[in-house]
Amino acid sequence: MISAQHLTRRFAARAVVADVSFDVSKSEIVALLGPNGAGKTTTMRMLGGLIAPTSGSVVIDGVPLTPATAGTLRARIGFLTESPGLWDRLTVRENLRTYAALYGLSQPDRAIERVIDVLQLSPQASVRAAELSKGMRQKVALARALLHEPPVMLLDEPTSGLDPEITRGVRRLLEERRAAGCAILVSTHNLDEAERLADRVAVLHERLLAIDRPAALRRRLATGRLIVRVTGDPARSLETLRRFDPAATIEGPALVLKVVDAEERTPAIVAALVAAGAGVVEVRPEMPALEDAYLHLMSRQAG
Amino acid sequence: MGLGDERAMPMARVRALLAKELLDLSRNRLALLPVGLITILSLVLPFGIAVAIPMLTGQELGSDADLVKVSGVAVGHESLTPSARVQLFLFQQFLLLFLLTPITGAMALAAHAVIGEKQARTLEPLLATPVSTGELLVAKMLGALLPTLVISLAGLGLYLGGIVATAAPGVAAAMLSLRTAMLAIWVGPAAALVSLQSAIIISSRVNDLIIIPLAAVLVAQFTGALWLSSTMLALLGLGLVGVWVLLVLLSVAIFDRDSILTRWR
Repeated sequence: MISAQHLTRRFAARAVVADVSFDVSKSEIVALLGPNGAGKTTTMRMLGGLIAPTSGSVVIDGVPLTPATAGTLRARIGFLTESPGLWDRLTVRENLRTYAALYGLSQPDRAIERVIDVLQLSPQASVRAAELSKGMRQKVALARALLHEPPVMLLDEPTSGLDPEITRGVRRLLEERRAAGCAILVSTHNLDEAERLADRVAVLHERLLAIDRPAALRRRLATGRLIVRVTGDPARSLETLRRFDPAATIEGPALVLKVVDAEERTPAIVAALVAAGAGVVEVRPEMPALEDAYLHLMSRQAG
Repeated sequence: MGLGDERAMPMARVRALLAKELLDLSRNRLALLPVGLITILSLVLPFGIAVAIPMLTGQELGSDADLVKVSGVAVGHESLTPSARVQLFLFQQFLLLFLLTPITGAMALAAHAVIGEKQARTLEPLLATPVSTGELLVAKMLGALLPTLVISLAGLGLYLGGIVATAAPGVAAAMLSLRTAMLAIWVGPAAALVSLQSAIIISSRVNDLIIIPLAAVLVAQFTGALWLSSTMLALLGLGLVGVWVLLVLLSVAIFDRDSILTRWR
């Protein structure tokens, strides 16, 4: 649905985005992660046909994005900009009505009521945008991006500054859009959100540093350490575990050992512990957080 | 969600944006203050000078030999009394103010057309829709032109009504001429089109406003228009409309979405 090939954008001599290629499939959410100034917004704008790449190409829904096709393609994209960008003196419904007409919807009132209902904006529908809280403004902007039920969504920081309840609602909504077949690219700083929401995570810092499933990114930093928790005194199980790793130790309430192919060895370790009379509570490979994987990629880039 | 008929969309998008512009303006009436003030000034000044002051001082306009001489050369109408001729001369001079009302008013609104959207951060979501540059600029132009034309034409109606009610005999008949109509409803709006399209071009090219020098040039140019014949005024209006069409094409050609989104802060 979204295909970026060798996207590069320069401002004067400086490359803000360099040779970035990735795809977002139908029914997929990809999170675009990166620090401030990494080129996330520039990438979004190029994909949305708002600015032209210096080189490279974009294909949306099978159609190459060119100056001639940009207008038509923009009708198929739901673009959430970094700032909600509502007309302050217009009410929520008036803001949405203008956009419904710009998208040429055949049943604008029905579309407006649908997004108002989905985003639970009924109490605010007749309120002027200037009087809305930041979270509400963001919800209205999201409603605007959903108005024409686009098959492609480009969302720049959709939950930035929102409270947890609204954030959860937005996340649920995006999951529903994914289930409906939408290809969604979400730019975010929020690693937790990326992990919860995205099928794949793209780490961007001028270049695309990595793109993979969150778990796969975390596995790249996997230590090979197993964390074991047993009932009672862990010291009683230490000898059993030293058969697998002579350097096994106790760290707090848990036993820690390092083994090669931790997943394959786990059944044998559990069996040995049970045979020795231990009550096994938990055996799990130590996995770094997505944050660790992200920071590792960033430090490699800086290095 | 069904999309409408593609062929009908450009006008629908212009209408939608124009409706938004007018709704926004109706809730921001302070933006119309400059046009309103110029209109009021355009009414108070001529009637103060040509009617109220002579009435209050008891000194007839025809008693000033220099004014009589100038008005005789400028307006003709030898059948009028010297005082009526001077009054006609003054009312014709002040008619210029009504030409300037739509020019300055429309420019003040149009100058903020693109900059205002950019500063309010509403431009990017707007440019993310299928709206074309031409549709956007036409809607912005009409959004600035229509309110100022309504106000200035209402002011002109009051001006001519006031002349009918208060001027010396023969002055109203002399004022209600083809030339006046040509100036008020042809040259004035055409000049407003040119000036506001220029303001929109400036608005889409710079971060802040530099409209005063442009306004000054236009004011200087239209001062001379008062003394043109009806035919010349018709041609002048036509020429202005031609310039406006060129400016529309120029404004669409140089509207650089990329630069507006990436370089303006």
